[in-house]
Formats: sequence, structure tokens, C-alpha cells
Amino acid sequence: MDNFQSSIAEILEVDSVELTDELESFDAWDSLAVLSIIALSDSEYNVPLSAQEINDSKTIEGLKSLIQGKQ
Amino acid sequence: MNLKFHNKKITGILTVLPENEVNFDDEIENYDFSRGQSMKLKLIMGYGKRRVVKDGTTASDLCVFGLKYLFDNDLLNKDEIDALILVTQSPDYFVPSTSHVIHGKLDLKQDMYCLDISQACSGYPVGLNQAFMLLEQEEINKVVVLNAETMSYKVSLKDRGSRPLTGDAAAITVVENDPSGSIIHGTVKLDGKGADALIIPAGGFRMPSTAKTAKLESDESGNSRAMDHLVMKGDEVFNFVQKEVPIMVDNLLAKADKNKDDIDYYMFHQPNKFMLKKLADKIGVPYDKMPNNIVENFGNASGVTIPTNLTYNLGEKLLTDSLLICLAGFGAGLSWTSLLMKIGNLDFCNTIEFKN
Repeated sequence: MDNFQSSIAEILEVDSVELTDELESFDAWDSLAVLSIIALSDSEYNVPLSAQEINDSKTIEGLKSLIQGKQ
Repeated sequence: MNLKFHNKKITGILTVLPENEVNFDDEIENYDFSRGQSMKLKLIMGYGKRRVVKDGTTASDLCVFGLKYLFDNDLLNKDEIDALILVTQSPDYFVPSTSHVIHGKLDLKQDMYCLDISQACSGYPVGLNQAFMLLEQEEINKVVVLNAETMSYKVSLKDRGSRPLTGDAAAITVVENDPSGSIIHGTVKLDGKGADALIIPAGGFRMPSTAKTAKLESDESGNSRAMDHLVMKGDEVFNFVQKEVPIMVDNLLAKADKNKDDIDYYMFHQPNKFMLKKLADKIGVPYDKMPNNIVENFGNASGVTIPTNLTYNLGEKLLTDSLLICLAGFGAGLSWTSLLMKIGNLDFCNTIEFKN
């Protein structure tokens, strides 16, 4: 999960993200960002995620634990 | 389930596209999203132009137009059609079958086999499978497979998830016996537990259309649609495709004793550019062997995208060459199907425009 934060930052169109950041606080947070995260998780970590799970994870840290929990 | 067919071939493919073209850029204001968000979506998903019918044009209109073109240009003799199969989920009526409506409009012979098959994005391989099976009959020598959809009527104007990718089209594929001893490998799989992942909830017998089912409701993503409209769980469909299709292709190639490099083209259903690129990455084939440009040019017309892909991207080549092609359809049902076959030296392989 070394590149996790930089990959998420790229999807959210910012230079960097903190683990405590809330997903909904980003301007670029929309259904397309959710789809991009589903694709990232599938291709990089081989973990399928649903849109609901991603929205429920609330923060960058929550999202990271969600993926780690399914690896 | 693995399938195997002997001595069958495709002899012609014609795609019929409505001439009416809609641009994604012109529809952006319909959606409750910023212009920036929609432009980003356009770039990633490959939204551009798409073809949609107007003025009440239906599946049978597109099919009759295409068949008349073939009759008029001596590419198909109507008395030689022994079976007519229509694959559609946008039929003219519940009763009777739309294939019978087409049969009547064209004054085809009574001595033939005619049926509708209700399949969506898997509809091209499913229709061909049926044609191959019918050709086992002694009196059936030529089967016409029709794929036709006018699903643009069933996507909400305010649904950015489905509307910008939905197109209308029809295709006609002629299938005949092939004494050269060819072998076609195929697979069919399904998961009915995912039936609600892509569904039009109202309008059938379970939930007839009423004023209530026509009322637009907003979802949490900011899209509005009614129960009469198509609704797609995009994340479920994406995950299902990425999981099942690569396994299906590996299995198909193993059954046929072929390597990925042996295949000339992977002509897949066209859900959107994003999903196809991810699929090519996962299967491990270069993008130029798996075209992904149908949605940006014509839209996704469900089971019609594979023949559209064949006529648009390989039209000229398939008149003179013979190529080993892997076909794959996947979508509503849930359903995923594939065929591995030689296609080529066709009598016709082109696209015509339906005027309305």
C-alpha cells in the first residue's frame, strides 16, 4: 500500500492527502472519483469494492483499512 | 458451460445506425453536475457522439430497413431465409413476437423458424449459438440473426450514469453451414442473483407502468430517474465484469488450445472505454487488439455493439481476410458469454444509416 495516498491524491486532484481527511471534503469527490477508486482497488490490490463501502469509509484512513481488511 | 459447434460460419454482417446523432456536450446542462465534472467523465468514459432513434422508431423498423437493403442489393435472397432470430430487450410489443412482425412486414415464407430471444449485452453470442444449433436441422440452411435495441427511450434525461452512453442500433448477421470442417468454441455463464444490477423495474407484469412509476426521483449521486427507466448499479457491474470476463477468456482459449497471441482480435461488447481498457489490462492484451471506440462514436446499443464493432473497425478486412476472433458479451442478467471463431471472406460487412 506504499503508493496508496499518492494514488488517492491523484484521483482527488490534489497534491497530497492526509489519512484523517474526510472523503466528502474534496471538491473532486463525486461518483466518478468513487468509480476511479473501485478501479484502483481492483487493479492495484485485487480487491473489489462497492460504491456503498467506499462512501461508508468516510476518511482516507477508513478507505485504506477497508482495502487492507479485504486483502 | 462450454459449447462446441462444427461446420458453421458467418457469411455477412450489416449494421444499421439511426442517422440522428446526439453529442454529449449538448446534454451536459441536463445533468445536476458541474461542467468540469462532466467533462472529466467524458474523457475517462469515452463519451462523445451517439446515435438515437426518434419519432417512435422501433426495433422492427431498424431490422426491416436493413433486411430490405440486403434484398435490394442482392446480398440476401429472402426465400432462402430458413430461420429468423431476433435478440432484443426493446420489443415492439409484449404480444406478438417482434420477429413475427418483421416476418409479416417483409412477406417472408411461412415455412420457417422464427423466434425472439430476450438477452441484453450477451445477446450477440447467444443469438449466434441459437443459429448454430438450428443449422443442425436438415431443412435449415440459412439463419438470419437480428440484434436490435432502442433503449434510449428508457434512460432518464437526467441520469448521467446511463444516458450519455446509451445508443440505438440494429445488426443483421447471416449464418450458414461450412463444409470446411471449422470448429467454434463458446461459453455461456450467468448469475440470476444479480438480476437487479441492470434493470427496468416498471413496465412489465410485475410492476405495470402508472403515473407513479413515471415520477422522477433523485438518487444519492445526483441522478434522477423513474421506475420506468433503466437503472444500473455501476459498481456491481464493473466488479462483475473485471472478475468474470478474464476467467471466461482464459477458459475459452484453454478449451480451444490457443494462446492469447494467437487471437487476431478481441471484439468485445462495448460498455464504455474505461471498462474495456481495464479489461484489456487485466486479460493482458494490447488495446489495438481490443477496440474500445464504439461508445464515443455511436453509443452502447447493448447486444448490437459487437456487430457494430466488427463492421466499423474490421469491415474492409473481413471482406478479404479470415481472422481468428474472440467475441465476448457481458451485462444484464447477469450474463457473460464468449465465442472463438474464424470470421472472414464475408459477402458483406458494412454499416448503413436509417433515415428518420
